[in-house]
Amino acid sequence: MTDVALLLAQVEIRDRSGPPSCQQANDFFCPGWVAENYDRYVDPVLQHLVLVGTSVAAGFAIAFALALLAHRIHWLAAPLLAVTGVLYTVPSIAFFFLLLPITGLGRTTAIIALTAFTLQILFRNIVTGLANVPPEVRDAGRGMGLTERQLLWRAELPLALPEIFAGLRIATVSTVALATLAVFVSGGGLGVPIYEQLTFKTNVIFAGGLCIAIAMAFDLALVTAQRAVTPWLRVTT
Amino acid sequence: MPAELVRYENATKLYPGADQPAVEGLSLEVAAGEICVLVGPSGCGKTTAMRMVNRMVEPSAGDVFIGDESVRDRDRARLRREIGYVIQQVGLFPHRTIAENVATVPRLLGWDRERTGARVPELFDLVGLDPGLAGRYPVQLSGGQQQRVGVARALAADPLVMLMDEPFGAIDPINRERLQNEFLRLQAEIKKTVLFVTHDIDEAIKMGDRIAVMRTGGHLAQYATPAELLMAPADGFVEDFVGADRALKRLALMRVRDVDLWEAPLAFPGQSSAEVRQKLDGAEVPHPLLVDADRRPLGWLSERDLARDIVPARAGNSAEPVLDCDDVMRDALADLLRAGSQYAPVVEPPGRVTGVLSVEIISEFLASPDARTDEHSPAERPQ
Repeated sequence: MTDVALLLAQVEIRDRSGPPSCQQANDFFCPGWVAENYDRYVDPVLQHLVLVGTSVAAGFAIAFALALLAHRIHWLAAPLLAVTGVLYTVPSIAFFFLLLPITGLGRTTAIIALTAFTLQILFRNIVTGLANVPPEVRDAGRGMGLTERQLLWRAELPLALPEIFAGLRIATVSTVALATLAVFVSGGGLGVPIYEQLTFKTNVIFAGGLCIAIAMAFDLALVTAQRAVTPWLRVTT
Repeated sequence: MPAELVRYENATKLYPGADQPAVEGLSLEVAAGEICVLVGPSGCGKTTAMRMVNRMVEPSAGDVFIGDESVRDRDRARLRREIGYVIQQVGLFPHRTIAENVATVPRLLGWDRERTGARVPELFDLVGLDPGLAGRYPVQLSGGQQQRVGVARALAADPLVMLMDEPFGAIDPINRERLQNEFLRLQAEIKKTVLFVTHDIDEAIKMGDRIAVMRTGGHLAQYATPAELLMAPADGFVEDFVGADRALKRLALMRVRDVDLWEAPLAFPGQSSAEVRQKLDGAEVPHPLLVDADRRPLGWLSERDLARDIVPARAGNSAEPVLDCDDVMRDALADLLRAGSQYAPVVEPPGRVTGVLSVEIISEFLASPDARTDEHSPAERPQ
């Protein structure tokens, strides 16, 4: 107890003595403070990664299933696009609070809202990718005796990969930004440190920078994966 | 290599919502190992008819048989794997290498790696593809090369029947001609039953053992060999479709050996000139043809060459162009016109002169009744 009091006194003495510290002046960015306090961001970053990863993965699984359904039953495409469009347009904050009475506070609520947000982007891109498969490839595939299932998995989906990856990249990067709102439903993530010290510039900038870094890391991973699985797009003619 | 006949029995296709059938009551038999060309203006149902064979189109009525078996009794995917399928836009899988594309049907049939691996180079060889292209992607190939891959892919599992829908339609004229010739050479070897769709009557005449001319509404207007079609069009529609130049087209079907050639007044070096002059009496050719001991043409002798007592060893005028009795008549005429000469010696292997072909012979042939096209007065034409 005395130790703490002593420490505080020392801090006060030091503060009073010299010019105001970077932290006290709330300057644009204080590297020294970050160097001492970076450990408080470790958990929020991990939570953020889980929020984004889970939402995009769940969104992709649902959008993929819906897209295959729309691909098979063409008249379903328009209504499905409309429904996912509404989910996309509902402001995330509003969505969070709409879900609160049903799913309560916590990560689940955040993930449900973020998943719903990704559906439209992913669904539209998968459907577009499948629709862009050249008709002669389908015709030749069927003519050679591929079943509809073989045609889908051996030709249509591989050829839709560029659009699918484009959708995944947009969905992932925007979910990284949106996931900062999860704090409002106690969903964790980088929103937590941001709102804890909203007026402390260094904190906001560093947490924001971490968001950007996460977005870039996801994007880089996706680009690398796409290049690996679409070798035919890289050949020189 | 296997091949099966294809038989249409009163096959009809009425698309839902259409007021007129695309194909109506088509009955047709394509003998095993023959190329049947389905030809006609756009909208005549030729592609629909072709696609009935592999059930890409299901007949609304009637039936199609391969051998004795109705295609309706077959599982669609399994049926199609036994039928080669080549389309104008080729439709190679852009994400698969050339070798993988060629191996598509063997893979579907579950061939093991070893068997497929042995088959692919065979196919490259068969269609004249550079083996170095095996690892390339379709986008890296020219249109002509892509269609070679298309043909190789269709032949991969040694199909009973080949369906070819305007296979060379999107290829430039020079490469198209080359691919046509290569396919005919290939067909002489593999003897598949081929249904070949085109809107180009010249291509039909060139490629077909038999030609089925179809007219709008999916009716068969005439089914005949190319020569029959050109000599005796069934009605005004076929006549118009075949074209006013059908006599000229017949030249493409004939070889030089098919016409009666003029006799060549031959002269050998060292022979007496008087003897040669005697031969010229009553001959259709005004100049003697100097030949060597093996009767190979050396040149045309002029009056000056005959001024001496003995025929010289060299002639004043070249014997060119020298035609082969297996030359296609159209090409022979082109050679004559190009050289600006009225006649040319014709040789048979190994180069012996058998006669003389002249522009006059060809024009007489074109004027003969069975080659005339403009005999019908307009009133005689069925409307």
